[in-house]
Amino acid sequence: MEIFDRGNTPSGYTISDSYLTRLVQERFGDPNHIDVEFVPVPRSEEVQKLNVLMASGSEVPDIVFTYDSGTFNRYAEQGGLTELSSLLDQFGPNLKAFLGEDTLAYGQYKGKQLAVPGRRLVLGKYASYIRQDWLDKLGLPAPTNADELYATLKAFKEKDPGGVGSSIVPFGMSIASAQYEPLIWSFIKPLTEEQRYTLTQQLGSNDYPTLLPGFKDALQYMNKLYNEGLISKDFGLDKDKKKLWEDMQSGKVGFYSEDAGELYFVANGSYKNLQTNVPGAVMTPIDAFKNSEGKFAKPAYAPNAMYVMIPKSSQNAEAAVKYLDWMASGKNLFDIQFGVENENYTMVDGVPVVKEDATKEASDRIYNFGDIGIIVNGKYAGSDEKNEAAYIAQTPKEYQADMRKSVEISNTDTIAPVRFDHPIEAEAKYGSSLSDKFQEFIVKATIVKPASFESVYESMMKDYMASGGQAILDERTAAYKEMSGK
Amino acid sequence: MVYIRRYWQLYALLLLPMAYFLIFRYGPMYGTQIAFKDFNFFQGISGSPWIGLDAFREVFANRDFFDALRNTLMLNLLDLAVSFPAPLLLAVMLYEMRSAWFKKLAQTVLYVPHFISWVIIGGIVLQVFGTQSGFINNMLTGLGFDAVPFLSDKNYWLITYLAVGVWQSAGWGTILYLAAMMGINRELFEAAEVDGASRMRRIWHITLPGIKPTVVTLLIINLGNMVSIGFDRPFIIGNVAVRDYSDVLSTFVYRVGLQSGQITLATAVGLFQAVVGLIFLLGANYASRKLTDESIL
Repeated sequence: MEIFDRGNTPSGYTISDSYLTRLVQERFGDPNHIDVEFVPVPRSEEVQKLNVLMASGSEVPDIVFTYDSGTFNRYAEQGGLTELSSLLDQFGPNLKAFLGEDTLAYGQYKGKQLAVPGRRLVLGKYASYIRQDWLDKLGLPAPTNADELYATLKAFKEKDPGGVGSSIVPFGMSIASAQYEPLIWSFIKPLTEEQRYTLTQQLGSNDYPTLLPGFKDALQYMNKLYNEGLISKDFGLDKDKKKLWEDMQSGKVGFYSEDAGELYFVANGSYKNLQTNVPGAVMTPIDAFKNSEGKFAKPAYAPNAMYVMIPKSSQNAEAAVKYLDWMASGKNLFDIQFGVENENYTMVDGVPVVKEDATKEASDRIYNFGDIGIIVNGKYAGSDEKNEAAYIAQTPKEYQADMRKSVEISNTDTIAPVRFDHPIEAEAKYGSSLSDKFQEFIVKATIVKPASFESVYESMMKDYMASGGQAILDERTAAYKEMSGK
Repeated sequence: MVYIRRYWQLYALLLLPMAYFLIFRYGPMYGTQIAFKDFNFFQGISGSPWIGLDAFREVFANRDFFDALRNTLMLNLLDLAVSFPAPLLLAVMLYEMRSAWFKKLAQTVLYVPHFISWVIIGGIVLQVFGTQSGFINNMLTGLGFDAVPFLSDKNYWLITYLAVGVWQSAGWGTILYLAAMMGINRELFEAAEVDGASRMRRIWHITLPGIKPTVVTLLIINLGNMVSIGFDRPFIIGNVAVRDYSDVLSTFVYRVGLQSGQITLATAVGLFQAVVGLIFLLGANYASRKLTDESIL
């Protein structure tokens, strides 16, 4: 069994001998006369280390996993993985029921089930946030589309309701997708099914809108905002949102889009910091980008997470599937994720709520539950509603109403990723080059003077197409024809 | 043989470095054949099928590759023009300095940046040169000037890149030259002084010729490295807005080889760099032997 080592093992445990590994051995290993061994892999060099293990053949664990779809596709293509369909039918009924057909489909490669994709519970991605106290001061309503937002940002800049001065950032931006995707996708025009399949470009695990009608309008809008000083000036340098968060927490940012709920999690402490720095600051979740159809369109996650794989060289494929099935049955997963009742969590209305005052001993028990419970991403409380409630209950009480609103927004009018039954080869090949190009595209088209926008847009588009965009388009068009049988 | 027996201790001392080169420098060359194979993880290097020069064809058909190659050469050449003379200049000035304690202090202050990780330098650069919150631009806007896009305009970025390079590496190079100058016979200076040579004359006719072999050696080594470029500096100082200039071969290999898993392509680029590097090295060595009678081979 592979296990991620994040270097955060509490004292008294080791990465391969902790409360959870003992639980696995006791409940699964002993009854089946299996000695469960965990092979640590450093989280930060997961793929490289996995490559080495896979290439070694004999030393590779029976269960390995990765988040990287490219790695999965490569292993699948090179024939290094065990076919799982019949094993799953025989030994994995609970697992199949838990994951469902939709999620399982993501583990197929050219019709063969070569991986067990983990199930992703929280599918909504984004929400936007605005300084309600600024709106109130100016007597403005919350903006609901790009034009209204423009007027609001303009007012923020000119009237400076927060008294920030010249360093005000009306629209907080970075070069991470959470900041620009909600904006860009709201400009995308209604698509036919054919357009959706052929013009979307999937780079990595995300769908990119580069060729979709409306993309240019979105850039033009960003260009206008930038040149009027409404967007963070150095957003092209801010890869990891660090600057954005800094500005937001010091009360300079009026509006921004972000992963829904990011603001409220204790680990980040963002909202708390903002309220400490600027007494009276109120950040409200809103849906600010209505598209031409009146919908708040925004991307969502595909329902899969980690790719759990069994290498072809494994002698214990049957036991491996049994293990995954064991995890999906009864209360096993629940106990792995939540720990012990009344010590780690309490049940409130049938929903497990993590005890904020849990002892260190108790919370150390399940310190790496996410890396053991590999068949799921997110905490599984029993049903979709319960999962959502448990998800919201992770945040401090005073923020839970806003958190609920954020989750609601992130699930409104979502656009699910489109997917063919086999990977598009050009996407695997050009994916990481093109996703870099895409960022370059956005940054350049945004920061250029309005007069040169056309020419920059033209040249970047040409560059993008020549660097693999065209190859992907051609392959997707062919794949669509094949799929729809024309 | 008698010779070896007599000095066997010296040869024994040589064993360790030899082993190092064999294991860590020559051993990995076995992997070079990946450039000519369709590499498959599960079949290993020897089991993967040969594909001839296909990988090279694909590399040379890739537009990003030529951009990266051009940028690598451009950045290295400019670096050579700016960063190569800087330590020489500093070393001469330090050497002429009378006050010993100031000399020591200056030397230490100058080479400290060499030990700072590029990741940290990247953070400092952002704080100093950022458009919105950078220290320099804050001053400029405070004085009523327009902010200068040091990091997001490619031409300004080039200047920033070079300046940071000088700041980081000049002190280190200075030490090498100072060490070489220590080897110059002091009597020459005294004699020159007696003959009434001015300070400039002394530098020109004694100091510089004295360290010529060191300068030439460093220059040849630098030229040999013309097609290879460190990963950290362009990757960390660079950003998407200036990718026209900041995308170099090392970042290209990182993206294609590690991020997209095209090991064969990455190996082919690596081999290409090694071959061109060798040509540059031999060329520079040859030219230097013809021109100055100094060479390292």
